[in-house]
Amino acid sequence: MTPPETETETASGEGGETRTLYGSPEELPEPAREALGDLLLVLADTKRVLGIHYADWILGSPTLEAGIACSAMAQDEWGHGRILYAMLDDFGMDPERLEHERGPSEYRSSELLDEPTDSWPELLALNLLLDTALSVQIEAMRESRLEPLHHKVSKILDEERYHFEHARGWTARMASTDRGREATGEPFREAWRACLRWFGSEEDELASGLAAEGIVDAAPGELRRRWVMRVAPSVAEVEPHLVQETEDGWGSAVDPDWEGWEPRTRRLRDAPGPDDEAILSRVRGDRNRSLLGE
Amino acid sequence: MSDRLVQIERSRPRGEGTMDWSGVAAATRGDRPDLDVPQWDEPAADLAEEARRALYEVPDPEYPISLVDLGLIYDVTADDASGRVEVTMTFTATACPCIDFIRWDVRERIREIPGVSEVSVETVWDPPWTADRITDRGRRLLNRAGVSV
Repeated sequence: MTPPETETETASGEGGETRTLYGSPEELPEPAREALGDLLLVLADTKRVLGIHYADWILGSPTLEAGIACSAMAQDEWGHGRILYAMLDDFGMDPERLEHERGPSEYRSSELLDEPTDSWPELLALNLLLDTALSVQIEAMRESRLEPLHHKVSKILDEERYHFEHARGWTARMASTDRGREATGEPFREAWRACLRWFGSEEDELASGLAAEGIVDAAPGELRRRWVMRVAPSVAEVEPHLVQETEDGWGSAVDPDWEGWEPRTRRLRDAPGPDDEAILSRVRGDRNRSLLGE
Repeated sequence: MSDRLVQIERSRPRGEGTMDWSGVAAATRGDRPDLDVPQWDEPAADLAEEARRALYEVPDPEYPISLVDLGLIYDVTADDASGRVEVTMTFTATACPCIDFIRWDVRERIREIPGVSEVSVETVWDPPWTADRITDRGRRLLNRAGVSV
């Protein structure tokens, strides 16, 4: 590939080799540009809808502190969503439409978020497994060759650190009682299956292309491995048969199930999308939004 | 700061001009006798310096220190001839609920400077803000207010 003139040279890595940076998404070669637009929309939608699930537990969490933490985490997710939606302007998408004018079938949030969260263990499964999956994916962009992207990653990850600590602490607390372990099992099994495939398959050419282009630093299989390594010690406390110890750490005891998987949206093809009334109306801010414009 | 490092977070300017935050600004700026504004013996060397000094009068909505002492102002540049001022700043959190009116406040305060024709405020997230960015002066003021940092 011939580098465009607008690219900037920078030193990189311990070997002192140089690599080119992209100053804007317009400079990205296809199909990496399209694949990254897809991925950013997946991340933005998932964070935005995850924020609603956290917000639903501000009141009614097991402890006051957990409710306050959910408030802070909801706020963070919406802040990250706002940054990510804004970036999509440069991918030919209209952030205003993305944020406020789409129906359920257009959302790319994980199908785990399609229905309201009914129990604290369900929320905890989202907190530990899905939220961490998002962070592993975003962390892989820390050294992205697309500059506008890597300039936003550190702040997001700074804020996400506390989400992981919260999830880890509460999982340990659930693991400390028979009743807690019993209630946590099914939500964790469901979230494990969904998050395991969320990174995409090793055969996914678009996702692997992003790694080859240096937009993210690893292909889907490696990202999945990083995610398993991070969450497995906690998962082993409540649902041990999902994970297994290996020579170099942890692995999944089950394989990803690709039946019905749609790589571009990172959703199951037949899943209907987030509940329009219970979730999306609030995600879009439907009620009273008409007061703000003509 | 080079253009390369300035990443404009594009969603924020949307709606600017449609929301009047003057009431909030009056509360956060005009009625803040607790704000300790430094005094200078020498006049500002140029418009950029004058604008930077003016931002010592814009407090954080929560803490009794200025945005400058809190470490949120990353860069102020100005063109003396045209009167155009550009502020590059960050916020403590990506979903800080005060982003809109802090930006409004920054712009309005700089607009009060004679000769200023245009003010742009750009939001960046890199490097991320941490408490390490609070100035020594800011730390003293916070300690005096009973906030330990």
